[in-house]
Amino acid sequence: MSEFVVKPGVKNLVHDDEKLVTTHCSYCGMQCGMHIRVHKKTGKIMGVEPRYDWPVTMGKMCPKGVTAYQQVQHPDRIKRPLIKKNGKFVESSWKEALDLIETKFKELQSKYGKDSLSVFGGVSMTNEKCYLVGKYARVALGTRYIDYNGRFCMSSAAGGFIKTFGIDRGSTLPWPELEHSDCFFMAGSNTAECHPTSIQWFWKAKDKGAKMIVVDPRETPTARVADVHLDLKPGTDSALANGMMHLIIREGYVDEDYVRERCNNYEELKEAVKLFTPEYTSEITGVAVEKIVKAAHIYGRSPRSVVMFARGVEQQSKGVDNVALYSSMALLRGQVGKFASGVATFTGQGNGQGGREHGQKADLLPGYRKLTDPEAVKYISSVWGINPEDMPKPGVSAYEMFDEIQNGNIRAMHVICSNPAVSAPNTEHIWSGFRKLDFLVVSDFFLSETAEFADVVLPATSWAEDEGTTTNLEGRVIRIRKVIEPVGESKPDWLIMKEIAERMGKGKHFNYDNPGEIFEELRIASKGGKADYSGITYDRIVKEDGVFWPCPSEDHPGTPTMFKERFDTPDGKANLAVVNWKPAGEYPTEDFPHILTTGRVVYHYLSGNQTRRIDFLMEQCPVPYAEMHPELASQYNLSSGDYVRLTTRRSAMDLEVRITKAIRNDTVFVPYHWGKELAVNQLTNPCLDPVSRMPEFKVCAVKMQKTAAPEASLK
Amino acid sequence: MNKIMYLEFERCIGCRACLAACRECGGHDAKERNYVEYVDFMESRQTYPMLCMQCKDPACARVCPANAIQITEEGVVLSAMEEKCIGCRNCTFGCPFGIPKFDFEENKMYKCDMCYDRSKHDIAPMCASVCPSEAIRFIDFDEMQELRRKRTQMNLIEGKKPAEHDKWQYVPEFFGVYSD
Ligand code: SF4
Ligand code: SF4
Repeated sequence: MSEFVVKPGVKNLVHDDEKLVTTHCSYCGMQCGMHIRVHKKTGKIMGVEPRYDWPVTMGKMCPKGVTAYQQVQHPDRIKRPLIKKNGKFVESSWKEALDLIETKFKELQSKYGKDSLSVFGGVSMTNEKCYLVGKYARVALGTRYIDYNGRFCMSSAAGGFIKTFGIDRGSTLPWPELEHSDCFFMAGSNTAECHPTSIQWFWKAKDKGAKMIVVDPRETPTARVADVHLDLKPGTDSALANGMMHLIIREGYVDEDYVRERCNNYEELKEAVKLFTPEYTSEITGVAVEKIVKAAHIYGRSPRSVVMFARGVEQQSKGVDNVALYSSMALLRGQVGKFASGVATFTGQGNGQGGREHGQKADLLPGYRKLTDPEAVKYISSVWGINPEDMPKPGVSAYEMFDEIQNGNIRAMHVICSNPAVSAPNTEHIWSGFRKLDFLVVSDFFLSETAEFADVVLPATSWAEDEGTTTNLEGRVIRIRKVIEPVGESKPDWLIMKEIAERMGKGKHFNYDNPGEIFEELRIASKGGKADYSGITYDRIVKEDGVFWPCPSEDHPGTPTMFKERFDTPDGKANLAVVNWKPAGEYPTEDFPHILTTGRVVYHYLSGNQTRRIDFLMEQCPVPYAEMHPELASQYNLSSGDYVRLTTRRSAMDLEVRITKAIRNDTVFVPYHWGKELAVNQLTNPCLDPVSRMPEFKVCAVKMQKTAAPEASLK
Repeated sequence: MNKIMYLEFERCIGCRACLAACRECGGHDAKERNYVEYVDFMESRQTYPMLCMQCKDPACARVCPANAIQITEEGVVLSAMEEKCIGCRNCTFGCPFGIPKFDFEENKMYKCDMCYDRSKHDIAPMCASVCPSEAIRFIDFDEMQELRRKRTQMNLIEGKKPAEHDKWQYVPEFFGVYSD
């Protein structure tokens, strides 16, 4: 199989002394196609070449994608294992590091029991690795405490989709169909910055007259060109969705046949949304009545519409409800399971979709099986070659693991591909947890803020040094290729897990020589599950431009469009959401009079551990800032470039002010990609969604105070 | 080269991928030659890209006393030739679009060359390749003409009709540049 995959007639620039390796971006869920340029003789990565023929992104990339290759041979790469001795990291051999891990893990488990160890995973890695993290925790370490950073990203979407449709696939339709839609209803998604390469599809549709309704407290680039911008108060999505459905019903826009045949709870929903007149909705959300009415008419009259959302609605203590409500809007219009229409969430992390399906979650096993289902436990135990009785019980969610540390139940943690010291809410609680641990192992390829707390840091490879697959935001399983050999002594995560498993006496369950073998096992493990990958092979992915799960057999074409005939619930019907209005965990009070919301900028990815090391990206956006409306700024005598102290019930921090009218006048926005004293997650509220355990990053109450510019050293 | 660099300002989402990509082009020394600016950040997030118009009779070349700025047979206006450029910066003052950049350390001018090593083979320049919003495109002349007509057609679909006071709205707000 060739490493350079290109369709006939497509021209790329290939330098004589270079070869191209076809792969995808390391960052967000768009998983943009790219070729990486490698010098044939020296093996040096030279740059990137657009992959014009990748059908989802057509060669387009955002600045993170363009510069992604610069991570691989970056001088900051950790090249050898590091062991902390007298508070300082010292380079060591793999043997010494693994010896220490083995001794510590065994010692703690014999003293405090199996569950004293824990694993904190991530989904910015391949399906093969994500799958193995769950197995590693449960089989190699035998602990119940495993969860992952998707808890801060996709878990509300997952919860809402399962509740509504019975299955959690981020998009019910393939992305290239978006071009043919007539209307996009986009809530809580700064698409232009967070998933930039999907913009081409929206703009194409707009060229043909498609309408756009954007729900966001900020006038994002998409909101700016929207037909209606519903500029709601952060945390009021459930009221807005109910208000929209009130109008859809009142104005006769419901597809009654579809709802009768394919949905439950219609009568209850009708009852529940009665209250949400445009006036009442406007009172809660702060959106003008006319805008709500206009949006409902546009949405209601569009023959083909897509309801889309992202972390803005999901990272709330009502994230699951919000997802279920917005999805219900699409159901009322009879849009799900049809061409160029449906429901989609914008997956944040590269493999946020695949990584959450195969058992990194506290309560899930591969193939989206439930750990509480004895049949599932039996089946997976047989695949893993263990006794069903030995399968650990469900653990707790990511943030709650840090409560277990404080309670003394978790004594050691292995963090793989994640940086919760920056990305978790209320970071001071997280930091204190890390300090309290008896032993912390971190696998990463750059020394993250989390790794700084570690006793042992294991050098992992970057995405370009290993083979594998990821599943993009559509649900399309795609191929990641190895571009160069591992840098320094770094090893791919699967190999690290395998070697620790061997030390723990479980080597026979981890008998892999390459990622392909793990994928073969994953195919079997997912077979018959909801996220069924059993018909997908590496070869098919290349031949077919990716394969959409569920794909239960090798002659099955995959499933680009979900729910054409039935939903995945026991009765085959979708469940419309019946939810009453509830305020966010915190709302403005006299002491904390404004709303703080957080999010991304286009130049950085998640905790910034990767992108904060790339020159171009740092030149564009070196530090976080507080974005606010001039009307709010003037109350505190603030101009652009001044400094403001933001204080919440958790902590305080100082930030430079940026003033624009493109945000509500009661809301302050701060991007979250920085650590330590620059981490806005010092301030955010760990109020969790009762179902998804997603923290409420997007809403908390804040007070402001003008302050002096920080010392130069802090800048 | 019959292709055209085609800008549609209002499509721009301000991601600056075009700048990052410009640095990636072989002869570009990891320095970008294009620009993305806010119209007025206080008012809105609208940004727009700006790059060399590859003028037919380029002011930068005309005002260069050293004759350092060459124009290829396809009409691409290149960066000043290192050995000829005397660092007078006339070109930066002469260009009506503010395009040529000046490297004060190396004392020489550099500018957009439409990624000549790509575009001479009809492969899109890096900025146009990556731009996620298609604010920058590298397309055929005919396609450009069609796009321009489309704009007027879209306005008709929207039910608008040009009148004296707003007829400017019907003129495409974008323009094409072409090189031969
Ligand atoms: S970060 Fe996302 S949008 Fe940007 S290039 Fe990578 S995959 Fe594409
Ligand atoms: S790449 Fe395109 S959308 Fe992004 S800043 Fe440049 S012109 Fe604008």
